[in-house]
Amino acid sequence: MYRLLLIFSLLFLLSCTKDGGSPTPGTGIGGSTARFTVSGNTLYIVGSTSLQAFDITNSSNPVPGAKTTVGVGVETIFPYRDKLFVGTQTGMFIYDITQPANPKQVSVYTHIQSCDPVVAQGNYAYVTLRSGTNCRNRTANSLDVVDFSDLNNLKQIGSYPMKNPHGLGVDGKLLFVGEGEYGLRVLDISNPAVVLPIQYVDSVKAYDVIPYQNRLIVTSPAGISQYSYATNQLTHLSTLPVQP
Amino acid sequence: MHVYLRIPSLLLVWLLMDGCWRPAPPEPPTSGDIYRPVYAPAAAIRIVQTLPPQPLQNAGKIYIKDQYLFINEVGRGIHVVDNRNPAKPMQLSFISIPGNQELAIKDSILYADNVLDLVALNVANPANVRVVRRIENAFPYASYPLATNVRFECPDPTRGVIVRWEKAAIDNPQCFR
Repeated sequence: MYRLLLIFSLLFLLSCTKDGGSPTPGTGIGGSTARFTVSGNTLYIVGSTSLQAFDITNSSNPVPGAKTTVGVGVETIFPYRDKLFVGTQTGMFIYDITQPANPKQVSVYTHIQSCDPVVAQGNYAYVTLRSGTNCRNRTANSLDVVDFSDLNNLKQIGSYPMKNPHGLGVDGKLLFVGEGEYGLRVLDISNPAVVLPIQYVDSVKAYDVIPYQNRLIVTSPAGISQYSYATNQLTHLSTLPVQP
Repeated sequence: MHVYLRIPSLLLVWLLMDGCWRPAPPEPPTSGDIYRPVYAPAAAIRIVQTLPPQPLQNAGKIYIKDQYLFINEVGRGIHVVDNRNPAKPMQLSFISIPGNQELAIKDSILYADNVLDLVALNVANPANVRVVRRIENAFPYASYPLATNVRFECPDPTRGVIVRWEKAAIDNPQCFR
């Protein structure tokens, strides 16, 4: 009995030493500008022209799988359900990953050359197009909403002018857009066909964003800022500053 | 028109048309950002180590896993942050990974690019991150910066492996894209 108590005490002590505990099974969440993503037991990596799968059923031992040619200027990858949304400088590509090791291209949404991350929710993809010297596009800045319920017939159901969108994130009825030097936007997507503005903070710079459990994490030249959006309005919580 | 005049004029027309049809090669840009490669010896780039927290300098991509926030330091590695209290995030450690720009996590394994290699790191204990698998040459040699419409100092493989590109004031850089 004494020994059992000793073991329990020891276990208790051990559990204290590891502050916060180990990461739980499963995958985490990346931003819209990511080139690495995990979906189920597969790690997907986009290079400048290709999509490479790694089997990570045994997470400690990634095994290279199929490498698919996507096209030119591949920039971002976003997983949603059994699909991958790949953002390139010429458009958005949707891949079916029902067979995870062999992503199959099922749809293409082409647009003018620009930088364009993409996120998805429900039957809708949200694509931002950005101008800039690195994006082969001098003028267009917009948010396009694309209905992909029919993969053979993608439909643009809305396009909204933006200033210089770098990254975006979606959570429920809210869409967040990092407008680079121009600030941070909160939009209402309750009706994806009619996107409405909620808030525009032009006092900060914002690149990529991750909305997660009522908290928005924002990357900016000043550092990593966090906001609460529990009330649909952004409340600043903290900034981990960049040291000059 | 006399036949002897007709042929030269036809030739002239051909020449003019030819001039219109041949696409002119793109001119090197004279403005725009200038980059230079940052080299590291081939042996040094495969050293991954856990360091005490480091200041953020050039924050890149971010990744959330449980209570942790991972922040890429462009070209250098990953800051591990305890984010249980988002009003007061606490830096726990810095994983030094030369050339690193990307990351994703499953379970307690973090996948990262390490210049040419893909590494799988066990981050269960952020103070002691271990390489559990390295896939060599998973990525191509970065012979140019990712940005387009830029000029840059041409890479010289004899000087080592390129771990990142940095903006620099260089006179008359010879490479561009």
